Amino acid sequence: MHPVLSQIRDLLVSLRLTVVLLVASLILVFVATLAQTNYGIYTVQEGYFRSFIAIWHVGPLYVPLPGGYLVGGLLFINLIAAHMYRFKLTWRKAGIFLTHIGLILLLVGELLTGILQEDFSMQIIEGESRNYSESFQDNELAIIDVTDPEYEEVVAIPESLIADGESIQHQALPFRVVPRLYYPNARLQLRSNVPNPPPAPETVDVGRQVVAFEQPITYRQDERNFPTAYVELVGSQGSLGTWLVSTELQAPQYFDYAGRQWKMLMRFTRDYKPFTLTLREVRHDKYPGTEIPRNFSSLVHITTPGGGDDRDALIYMNSPLRYGGYTFYQYQMDAASDLTVLQVVRNPGWLIPYIACVLMGLGLFWQFSYHLVGFLRKQRRSAA
Amino acid sequence: MNRPPLAAAIALALLTGCGDSQVTSYRVPREKDAAMPAAVSGAPASADAMAATPVATATGPDLVWTAPAHWQAQEASAMRKGSYLVPGGDAGGDGDMSITAFPGDAGGFLANVNRWRGQIGLSALSQEAAGELVSHLDIGTLHVDVIDFSATSGNPAQRVLGGITSFNGSTWFFKLSGPDLLLAREKPAFMAFIQSLRAP
Repeated sequence: MHPVLSQIRDLLVSLRLTVVLLVASLILVFVATLAQTNYGIYTVQEGYFRSFIAIWHVGPLYVPLPGGYLVGGLLFINLIAAHMYRFKLTWRKAGIFLTHIGLILLLVGELLTGILQEDFSMQIIEGESRNYSESFQDNELAIIDVTDPEYEEVVAIPESLIADGESIQHQALPFRVVPRLYYPNARLQLRSNVPNPPPAPETVDVGRQVVAFEQPITYRQDERNFPTAYVELVGSQGSLGTWLVSTELQAPQYFDYAGRQWKMLMRFTRDYKPFTLTLREVRHDKYPGTEIPRNFSSLVHITTPGGGDDRDALIYMNSPLRYGGYTFYQYQMDAASDLTVLQVVRNPGWLIPYIACVLMGLGLFWQFSYHLVGFLRKQRRSAA
Repeated sequence: MNRPPLAAAIALALLTGCGDSQVTSYRVPREKDAAMPAAVSGAPASADAMAATPVATATGPDLVWTAPAHWQAQEASAMRKGSYLVPGGDAGGDGDMSITAFPGDAGGFLANVNRWRGQIGLSALSQEAAGELVSHLDIGTLHVDVIDFSATSGNPAQRVLGGITSFNGSTWFFKLSGPDLLLAREKPAFMAFIQSLRAP
C-alpha cells in the first residue's frame, strides 16, 4: 500500500481518532444546547447536528465547529475501519461487535431520519375534512388555475426560490414570476392605521391597502415567521402587475389571464395525501370539579378515494394513529373552537433506533455476562 | 470490500445537501378559500374587526411603567400596549391614554406630532416650530420627547399630551387626549407617568 494511503488508514483505524471524535461530539452537544436558548430547537438541529460544519456565535465571534454529520460520519468510518483492521471476531469479543453494529445502525438511522423525515401539522375543524398536511417551517407561493369548476391546477413555488429573487418560469404557467421584494418575516397593517405610511408600492389588489413591516426572524417554537413578498407576474405582452403575498393574508387573490382564472397565495407548504381525514369529534376532558386535563382526543374518519378504507380512528395522547406510512399525534387543540391540530410525521427509518438499541443491549449483556462467567469460573478454580 | 459502506456513507451525505427547492405542480379537487383578515378584505373594517386584526406592533421586551391610581386600566388591544381611561368628572368628557409601539421610527417625530395635531384640528408644524414645542427628558437610559398642545376651537376644546421614545429598535408613543380642562388638571399625573417609564 502507498505510504500516504497507509497513513490515512492508520488514522481512520486509530482509537485516538475515536476519542477525539467523542470529545468533539460532547462539545457539539454542549454548544448546541446553549445555542437553543437563542435559536430554538429546529434551527439548532439543522445548523449544528444536520450539517458538516456548525458555526457557533459567541458574541461578535463566529467559531466553526465540526457539525453532526462530520463527527457522526467520521465515527461511522472509524468504527467500520476498526472492525476491518483491528478487531477479530471471537466469542470473547462478540458482545463488542454487536454493540458496535448497534451504534453503526444508530448513526445510519439518524442520517436517514435527517434526510427522509417529514414533520407536518394537520388542522381540522369538527365536521371538516383534510387531505393535506402543512409544514411547520416551510412556506410556498401557490399559483393556482381555478378555471375548471371541479379541479385546481396548482403550481407551488418554494419560499427559498422567492428569496433567491430569480425570475421563475414553469411550463404550467403562461407568465413568469419575478420576486421584487422579499421579507422572511413581516407583519401587515392596514395602511390607514399606520402613522405616516411609506409610499404605496405599485401593487394590485390588497397590496394597495396594507403596509408590510419587516420583523426580526423568530426562532421560538411557539411562533411562526410570516414571509411576505412583492411578486410581479410578466406575460408575453408585458407585466400583469405586482402583488403583495404573505402567509398572514391567508386568503388568495384572484385574477384573470389568458382566458383562465387564477388565484395566488403564500401559504404553509402542503403535502397532499392519498386519503382524507374527517374530524368527527374533538374532546378535552377534565377531572371532575377541576381544570386539570384528563384527556385530549380526536375522533377521525379515514376515507380513501377507491373506498378501500372507510373507518373511524381515535387519536389521543400517547396513542397516535399510524396510517399510510404516516403517524398522526394529538398535538394541539382548541375544544372551544372545535379545532384539533395533529402532528403528522413520516419517518421511514423509525424502526432503526429500536433495532440499534436492542442490538447494543444484547451486545452489552453478552459482553458483561461472558466476563462475569469467566470471573466466577476463575474464582471457583482458585477456591478449589 | 470496504468500498460499499464508504460509498453509501458518501452518497447519503451528499443527498443531505439536496433540499426541496423545486417548483412542483399537481391537480387537486376544488377547495374552499380561507377568509381574508377583515382589515385587508377591502371592506370598511369595524372597530371590533380591527381589534382582532394582527398589526405590526413592536416585538421584544416591553417598557414598564406605573400609572396613577385613578386612571382606569382598559383591556389592551392588538394595537395598544396599554390603555387607560382618565375619568373626566366635570371637565366635559373622559381622557384616553394610549400606549403604542411600532417597529423602526414609525414615520419620524415630526410626522407623528403633526398627525396628533391634525386629530384635534390643528395645522401641521414645520420641523423648527415643532422643535421649539418639544421638551426633552432623560429617564434612566430612555430619552423621551414630550409635547403638549391644545386646540382653541371645539366644545370642549381638546388637548394632547404626548411622549415619544425609542426603545429596542421601536418607537413608543404615550398619548393622553381629552378635554383641555381635564388635561390641564392631569398634566402632573401624566408627567409622573412618563417619569415612571423603565426599560425591563
